[in-house]
Amino acid sequence: MNPAKPPLIVSAVLSRYGFPIVLASVFVFFSVATRSFLTLANLDDMAHDMSPLIVISAAEALVVMSGKLDISVGSVAFLSASLASLAMRDYGVDPIAALLIALAAGGLLGAVNGAIVVALRVNALIATLGTMIMFRGVALELTDAGLVPLPEKVRLLGNLSIGPLFVDIVVAAVVLITLDVVHRRTRFGRQIMAVGNSEAVASDLGIPVRSVIFRNFVLCGALAALGGVLTTLQVGAVTAYLGSGLEFNAVAVVVVGGISLFGGRGNLLYSVALGALTFETIRTGLNYYGANPYSYRLVGGAVIFIAMYADALKRGRLGQNRNVLMRG
Amino acid sequence: MIRTWTLLRMNGLLKSHPSAVPLPDAALDGRGGDVGAPSLSRIVDARLIASALVFSLVLGLLAAFAPSFFRLNNLVNILVQTSTLAILAIGMSFVMIGGGIDLSMPANMAMSAVLGALYMRVGHDPVTGSAIMIVSGATIGALNGVAVAYLRMIPFVVTLATMTVAKGACIWLTNSVSIAGLPESFGDVLLARPLGIPVAVLATIALTLLASTALSFTVIGRWLYAIGVNERAARVARVPIERVTAMSYVAAGLSAGVTAVLLAARLDSASANMGNDGVVLDIVSACVVGGISIYGGIGRAYGAVLGALFITIVSNGLNLMGVSFYLSLIVKGIVIIGYVALDGLSGKAP
Amino acid sequence: MTAEPFLRMDGVSKRYPGVVVLHEASLEAYRGEAMALMGANGAGKSTLMNVLGGLATKESGAIFIDGQPVSLRSPREAAANGVAFVHQELSLLPTMTVAENVHADEFPVRGGLLAPEIMRRRTTELLARLGSKLPTDIRVENLSAGDRQIVEIARALRRRPRVVIFDEPTSSLTAWEKTRLFEVIAGLKRDRAAIIYITHFIDEIFATCERVTVMRNGRTVASAATDTVTSRDVVHLMLGETDNIVRLGKTPAGDAADDGGDVVLQVKDLSRANVLKNVDLTLRTGEIVGLWGLLGSGRTELLRALIGLDAIDQGELCWSRNGELLSITPRELRRFVGFVTEDRRGDGLFLPLSVETNIALPSLPALTNWLRLIVGKKLARLVHGMMERLRIKGSGPKQPVGTLSGGNQQKVVLARWLATNPRLLFLDEPTRGLDVSAKTEILKLAVEFALAGGTILIVSSALEDLMRVSDRYLVISRGSIVAKLPGATTADELKHAVSDDSSRSEFRP
Repeated sequence: MNPAKPPLIVSAVLSRYGFPIVLASVFVFFSVATRSFLTLANLDDMAHDMSPLIVISAAEALVVMSGKLDISVGSVAFLSASLASLAMRDYGVDPIAALLIALAAGGLLGAVNGAIVVALRVNALIATLGTMIMFRGVALELTDAGLVPLPEKVRLLGNLSIGPLFVDIVVAAVVLITLDVVHRRTRFGRQIMAVGNSEAVASDLGIPVRSVIFRNFVLCGALAALGGVLTTLQVGAVTAYLGSGLEFNAVAVVVVGGISLFGGRGNLLYSVALGALTFETIRTGLNYYGANPYSYRLVGGAVIFIAMYADALKRGRLGQNRNVLMRG
Repeated sequence: MIRTWTLLRMNGLLKSHPSAVPLPDAALDGRGGDVGAPSLSRIVDARLIASALVFSLVLGLLAAFAPSFFRLNNLVNILVQTSTLAILAIGMSFVMIGGGIDLSMPANMAMSAVLGALYMRVGHDPVTGSAIMIVSGATIGALNGVAVAYLRMIPFVVTLATMTVAKGACIWLTNSVSIAGLPESFGDVLLARPLGIPVAVLATIALTLLASTALSFTVIGRWLYAIGVNERAARVARVPIERVTAMSYVAAGLSAGVTAVLLAARLDSASANMGNDGVVLDIVSACVVGGISIYGGIGRAYGAVLGALFITIVSNGLNLMGVSFYLSLIVKGIVIIGYVALDGLSGKAP
Repeated sequence: MTAEPFLRMDGVSKRYPGVVVLHEASLEAYRGEAMALMGANGAGKSTLMNVLGGLATKESGAIFIDGQPVSLRSPREAAANGVAFVHQELSLLPTMTVAENVHADEFPVRGGLLAPEIMRRRTTELLARLGSKLPTDIRVENLSAGDRQIVEIARALRRRPRVVIFDEPTSSLTAWEKTRLFEVIAGLKRDRAAIIYITHFIDEIFATCERVTVMRNGRTVASAATDTVTSRDVVHLMLGETDNIVRLGKTPAGDAADDGGDVVLQVKDLSRANVLKNVDLTLRTGEIVGLWGLLGSGRTELLRALIGLDAIDQGELCWSRNGELLSITPRELRRFVGFVTEDRRGDGLFLPLSVETNIALPSLPALTNWLRLIVGKKLARLVHGMMERLRIKGSGPKQPVGTLSGGNQQKVVLARWLATNPRLLFLDEPTRGLDVSAKTEILKLAVEFALAGGTILIVSSALEDLMRVSDRYLVISRGSIVAKLPGATTADELKHAVSDDSSRSEFRP
C-alpha cells in the first residue's frame, strides 16, 4: 500500500521541514543570484502581490480542512468584483457600499455552492466546477468581457499605505490571522476540523455537519469576493481575466503549504503563508533572474507534484494510523 | 489510488465510514432486492428523460428560430466539431469508469499538438508528426497513471499539476505564438471527406467502436468496471488494480493525442490555446450527460459520444439562437450540476 | 445490590425488512453493578444496545430508567437521559487533541471563543478519575488503542452518565490496559452507574460482572448472577443445543492427526503484531478444516493474511507444486486460493454488475481468443455451467447481482471461485444470513469440492454448520491456534475449547 519508503529519519525530517527548507534555499538562491531580489522594496512588492492570493487561499484552506473543495473561488472573486465595480460606475454607488455589495455577493454565491453540496448532495468538486463556469458566465455577460475601470478616487486606494506597508498587505494579514483564530479557537473552527476528520463520527457526536459545511462555503465566498476586491484595486479595473486560474493557485498554495486534501488536518496560518510565499518567491525570483516568464508554470507544476509526493509519503504512515483508529 | 479516497470520492463522496448501526446479519437474509441498491433502470430513466427534454427543447427552439441549423452542410460541420469533444470524452470515460478524473487532457492535447507541429514544421513528415502527437499524449497519460495508481496520489491534484506543467511548457515552447507551416499533406489527408464523410467523423466512429470493444469485451475493460464499482472486492477478486488504473489514464492520454492530430489538421496550426480551461468542463459534462457516473463503475463509450453530441448541439444551438456565449456558460454549469445531482438522488452515490 | 433494577428494557422487538432482529428481548441492570451481555454473532445484543443508545428504533417494548419510562430516539436523547455508549469502533477524531475529543460533542465557549483552560482542566480531572495521566494536548491518532479508549470513556463520563454501555471494549487492549479498564469499571460502579458490558470473552465476565444475560436469535434466553453459572453453561446458552447435526460428507476421523491426503499448504510461525501469533497449520488434499473460534479471535485476519490481503510481520508458507512443497509468498498464494469473504456485499460482490460478470471476473483471462477479446460463447458456457451446477436462481446471467436473494448471491461468489478451479478454498462465514435450505446447499457444495480433491478452510460462528462438514478442527483464540481437534470432537468439547481461555497471549501495542 505504501509508495517506496526512504529511510525513516530522512523522510520524517523531509516531511516536516521539507518545504520550509526548500523555500529557504530557493529564497537564498535568488537573493544571491540576482541583485534586486533581497531588497525591502522587492519584499514589499511581493507581499503586495501576494495579498489577494493569501486571502483566497486562506478561505480555500478552511474549506479543504472540512474535507471539501471549492474551485469556484476565482469566478466568485470575478463576479463579486464586477458587481461592485458596475455598481460604482453605472449607479454611482459609493465605494464603501460597493465593497459591501461585493462581500454580500460573495457570501451569496458561496451559499449557492453550499446549497448544492449540502442539499443536492453533489460532489463538491463537480458542484464548484459547475458554479465556476456559471458565475464566470454571468460576470462576463455583465461586463461584456470588457474592462470596468474603477472611479478615480477609488483607484488611488489601490496604492494606499499605512506607514511602510501597503494597505492590502495589512488586510491580508488581518484576514489570515483572523481565520487562523477562527480555525483554532472557535467552536465553528473545531467543528470544521471534526467534520474533516469524519462526517459520520462528527454527525454521531451531534455536530450539525450540513450546517457547518454550508457556512464554510458562505465564508469562503465572501473572502473570495474580498480577494477579488483587492486584485481589482491593485489593477485599477476589473478585467475579464480576473481570478481566472485563481482557484488552482489557491489549491496549489494549500497543498504546497502542507494541508491535507483529505481534510481534518493542517495549520492554517503556517500553511497558507508558506504556500503563498513559495509561489510568490518562485515567480518573482524567476522574473528577476531573467528566466522565461512561462517557466513559472512549469516550476509551479513541478512544485505541486513534489508536494503531493511528500503528502503521499506522509499519508503512508499517518493514513494507516487513522484507519486503525477507526477500527478501535 | 486508494479508491475510497480518489478525489471524486472525497469532498462529499466519501464512502461513509461504517455507520455505528450495522445491519444485523439476519437482515442479510433478504429475499429479493437490497435495501438501497439502485436498479439500473431508475438511473437511466431520470437521465434519459432529462436529456430527451432538454434536447427536444433545443431542437424545437432551433426549428423555430434558426432553421438553417438543419442544413446538411451545417449538420456535417456539427459532427466534425463534435468529433474533438467526443474523442476526448471517450478517453475521459475510461478514467471516470475506474473512479478517477483527468483534468489534464486539454493541456495534454495542446502540448502534443505543439510537439508534433514543431517537428512537422522542420521535418515535413506528417506521419511521424502524427505519431509524435499520439506518443506524447500517451506519455503524459502514463505519467498521470503512474502517479495515481502506483504512487497513490490524488487524481485531481496530479492531473492538475500535469495540466499546469503542460500548459506552461506549451506556452514556453511556442512563445505564445501559433505554430503554423504544417505540411500540406497533413491537412489534405485528415480533412478529406471520403464518400462525403469527414475523416474526423470516421475516426470518431472508429474510436467509439474500439473503446466499446475494449470496455465490454476485453478482460481489462471488465476489470476497470469492477474497480470503479467496488475496489475492495476487486482486490479480493484478483484484479491487478494498479495496472488497470494506470492504463485508464494512458487511454485518456492517447485520446488526447489523437485529438491533437485531428484538431491541428483542422486549424492548420497548433498553439497553446488549443486546450483552454473551458474544454475540461465540456469533457466532464459530456461524460456526465452521457450516463457515465463520476463515482465510477457505470457508463459506456457511446454514451460519452452521445453526451458530446448533446453538449455540442446545445452549445451551437444556443449560439445560433443568439444566446450570448456567456449565458451558455450558465446553461452548461446548470447541466453539469443537474446531471450529477440526478446521479446522487437516484441512490448511486455511496 | 438494590432490589429494583435501575435500567429495565422490556419486550423490545425490532425487525428489518423480512427479518426479525429482536423478539421481545429484555434486559435489566442495577446501579453499582455490571451486567454482561453475551451472544453469538447476530444474536441481537448489538441491536438491543443500539436501541438503548438511541441509534436504532424499536417497534415495540418499553425502556425504564430509574423507574421512569424514557424515549431514546437519537443519540442526543439517549445522552440527555444519562446513557453513554462506548463503542467498539471508537468515535474519535484522530487529528484532534485529547481535550478536544473529550469535548467534541459540546465545546465549551466563553465569549465566542473556545475556552481551552476549561477544556484542559476538565479533561485532566476526568482522566485522573480513570487513572490516566495523559497530556491533554496530544493528538489522539498518536495514542495506543488503550489510551484512545480512555479518551472515549472520558468523553462519556463528562456528561455524568447513569448507564454506561461498553461494546467489546477489550479487543485491542494489552493485558495491563485491560486491568486498568476493569479498575475504571470498578470506579464507575462506586459512582453508582449501571454498567452493561458486551463481550465474548468469558473470563472477563467472571472478573468484572455481577450478572450475565445471554441472547440468542434475537431473544433473551437467560439471565443470572455470575456466581451461579460456569463458563460452560454460558457457552452452552450462547450457542444453543447442537444435538441434531446432520452430517454431510465423510464420517469424521477419531484422531486429530492431519494424516490422509498430501500436504497442500503448510504454514509456520505466521505472525502479525497484535493480531496473529505464531500460527502453525497444515492443510491436506480432500479435507475440510474447520477454523473454530469466537468472534474477534482472528479468524478472518488469518485468512486475509494467508493470501496477502493484509501484511504480515513474519511467517513461512509452503505450497505444493508438482508434488514438492515450495516456499511461496502470500500474494503469490492468492492466485491459487478462492476466498469467499464474510461480507459478500462489502467486498465480495459487485452489486450493480451482472451475475455473469461477478462469476467470471477472475476467470476472464482464460476466456479470451487470440485477439484477447472475451469470447461470448466461452463466457456463456462457463457462467451457464456454474449457474446450473450451483442452482443459482434468477432471471438470467445478465441480472444485476444486487437483486438476487442472499442465498443466490452467496452462490454467485462461490461459483466465481469454483470456476477458477482452485485447489484451496477459504470460506469465511459462508452461511451467514441464509435460510436453512440455502445453508445446506452451500455446505453440500463445499463437501463436493472436497470429495473431488480440493481443500477447504472454513470459518463459521455457527457451530452446527461447521460440524456438518469439517473433517477436523483448528481452534483459534486471540490470534493463535490453541488446539487441534479431531473430527469426532463433540459439540460440547468444541464449546469448551473456546470457553476455556487458559492460554492467554499477551500483546504489546
